[in-house]
Amino acid sequence: MKRYVIQRLLMAVPLLMAISFVCFVFINMIPSNPAEVALRVQQTPIITEETVAEMEEMLGLNKPFLVRYFHWVLGCLKGDFGISYVNPARTVAGELARSLPATLQLAAASFVIVTVLSIPIGFLCAVYKDGWFDKLMRGIIFITTAMPAYWAGLLLMWGISVKLGLLPTNGNGTWKHMILPSFTVALSYISTYIRLIRNNMLENMKQDYVLYANVRGLPQRSILVKHILKNSMHTCIVAMGMSIPQLIAGTIVVENVFSWPGLGTLCISSIFNRDLPIIQAYVLLIGVLFVVFNLVFDILQTVSDPRLRKED
Amino acid sequence: MKRRFFHNRTAVATVAFVLLIGLVGVFAPVVSPHDPYETDILNKFARYSAEYPLGTDHLGRCVLSRLIYGIRPTLGLALLTMLGTIALGAVMGVLAGYFRGAVEEVIMRVVDVMLSFPSQIMVFAVVGLLGINVQNVIIANVFIKWAWYARMIRTGVMQYRDRNFVQFSRCVGMPERFILFRHLLPSITSDLAVLASLDVGWAIINISTLSFLGLGVQAPVPEWGAMLNEAKKVLTSNPVQMVAPGVAIVVLVCCFNLMGDALRDVLDPKEVER
Repeated sequence: MKRYVIQRLLMAVPLLMAISFVCFVFINMIPSNPAEVALRVQQTPIITEETVAEMEEMLGLNKPFLVRYFHWVLGCLKGDFGISYVNPARTVAGELARSLPATLQLAAASFVIVTVLSIPIGFLCAVYKDGWFDKLMRGIIFITTAMPAYWAGLLLMWGISVKLGLLPTNGNGTWKHMILPSFTVALSYISTYIRLIRNNMLENMKQDYVLYANVRGLPQRSILVKHILKNSMHTCIVAMGMSIPQLIAGTIVVENVFSWPGLGTLCISSIFNRDLPIIQAYVLLIGVLFVVFNLVFDILQTVSDPRLRKED
Repeated sequence: MKRRFFHNRTAVATVAFVLLIGLVGVFAPVVSPHDPYETDILNKFARYSAEYPLGTDHLGRCVLSRLIYGIRPTLGLALLTMLGTIALGAVMGVLAGYFRGAVEEVIMRVVDVMLSFPSQIMVFAVVGLLGINVQNVIIANVFIKWAWYARMIRTGVMQYRDRNFVQFSRCVGMPERFILFRHLLPSITSDLAVLASLDVGWAIINISTLSFLGLGVQAPVPEWGAMLNEAKKVLTSNPVQMVAPGVAIVVLVCCFNLMGDALRDVLDPKEVER
């Protein structure tokens, strides 16, 4: 057990290195010189060899490649992601920290919505398999998987905010602002989990222990809830945990639809402004979150499920 | 297999529908009632009528014509993306699965790293770093997706590599090239076809999302996502504008998803043995 955890932790290290390397290589792979880009976005009137050299000096671009990489990684570990090209007075870390809470809020709200809706719906779909509810849900799931998140957001915005005037269309402030965007984010993930829970439960229903419980004459309700649902939840909890970074990443589009002042809006505006360090730090942040969440839930699953434990 | 295809109604219907859409896109100048770029500012936001079946947009352009011309970038770019993805994935997957050893190690480690990145973010990152451009959108989409195909194709190749018919070919001295192109690639084509048709829908959504955010196909070109971006600006005054392109995307993506499922039934190797 301990060996497995250590092995898993050690395996994550090269992965993290590789991710940071990809992020770093990216910014160095662009066709134009980063120093020149920085000068351009700051609208320096005349760009000469000297100003470029000066900028390179300031951004530390004149050192050899690997030296710069290690310098950058060490900086990142200390929470220093460099400075924004657009506004050198601001640090990238500061910009990210400013927008992170709003995104986390949104992702947390959507996570709650996903959990609260998908578990009961998946449960009911499995219990009444091929009944009208299951069929209806399957139809809805089929359509929502084909629906682009931004269009769903626009439809909700129009129907609920404009037509009915129930909720504000954009911005953030009160909890009311959060309902539509978080529901839109959740919409694209709910279908996956309904299907996951439904199929997991159906799979479990075929197991021998269910047959045995039936033979023992246990009431159906307790079989469904105490045995089947409980056993199905294992995989689902792990899958949901691993999808948390995906939810955070998934907010990028929805934030822009609802002008939610989070990481997604920051990222898109940075793309338009060619503010490369912010994009780089954002990608690194999400990549690291992915690895960490995968690691944690993978280990949790192994710890909680004795069947996966390989004692040696 | 042909008979099973024609017996599967969903497969026939969806393939026919996709072909129809494709043809309409190709013959857009013949089919569409108006010029998609022709503005008529006096007749903006016109309602549905015989002349403008889907009305006009904020510049008085015919929505139906724009929708029809929009098939070209929407479907065309998605297909191009899939083509690039499959090509790159196939080369990498076959290299890894067939030659093994160090080549495999390197490729699979790169694949692992690629798969550990959230794909949605990578698209934005690539577009953001390379610049806003349609070409970069395709590069970005191929870049994030090839690893999935490489892994799948490698598994497929490894599955068939030690089968008797391949062993036999090798024994009688067939060149490696022959084994690769005549044995291994045809064996994994059906899996590939299913996966690819499911992913076309994904590519359509992804590309239209980028266009909607202004990072892909740019404004005057009638791409469906870009049309929705224009519709968003008049959401409160003219909500009808966002219906047509949105429905078009959902219908086309649904169709590709159905097609993928139907093709799986048609091509399932387990069925073949029966």
